[in-house]
Amino acid sequence: MPNKKILIVDDDRDVQQGMNLRLKANQYDTCLAGDAFSGVAEARRSEPDLILLDLGMPAGGGFLVMERLKMIPSLAVIPVIVVSARHGLENQKRALESGAKAFLQKPVDDDQLLAVIRQTLGEPARMKKPALCNQGVV
Amino acid sequence: MTKPTQRIADLPAYLSHELRNALACIHQFGNILVDGLAGKLTGEQREYVSIILENASKIRSVLDTALDGVAPAASKIRTKI
Repeated sequence: MPNKKILIVDDDRDVQQGMNLRLKANQYDTCLAGDAFSGVAEARRSEPDLILLDLGMPAGGGFLVMERLKMIPSLAVIPVIVVSARHGLENQKRALESGAKAFLQKPVDDDQLLAVIRQTLGEPARMKKPALCNQGVV
Repeated sequence: MTKPTQRIADLPAYLSHELRNALACIHQFGNILVDGLAGKLTGEQREYVSIILENASKIRSVLDTALDGVAPAASKIRTKI
């Protein structure tokens, strides 16, 4: 079975890279975008199975991305998990009302992130983290 | 809204965004090291990275508590002006 593809939309390159490494180590394919505009464009291009979406970004932010996705029928069905550094229940409520499947506040525990991703994708639960390995992940 | 008042009102959001992103990176890459995704660590190296992660968690806890305390006040400032 082919790996599921996850689009990471986050303007912080380091956060993006960290998530990318963790997801690849757990057998997900990834694609990346660094702002709202390129997030929608990349979603159109790569048609991911799931989107991890930051809220505070240049060119509109995460809420704009969710609005735009809803307007495109083929993208409206892609589940979105918001992973944000914003504080407070207001943002959580707004994200869920905007259609996000889940709201996670940074810093997110890796096990929690993977569990929510698997649940959203309808995958069975796996062991918490991949076994220790000696080779790097590319 | 005057500039200083605006700054006070925006401070929780600014701190949350900047500090949580920095903490997210520390957690992510610390765990990547501990899990051996960038190569196997010695016992001593693992211990040191674990100390970094534990202290990052402490900072997160302090940040959560601090922001829970000041965010409603900042919101009130925004509403009043």
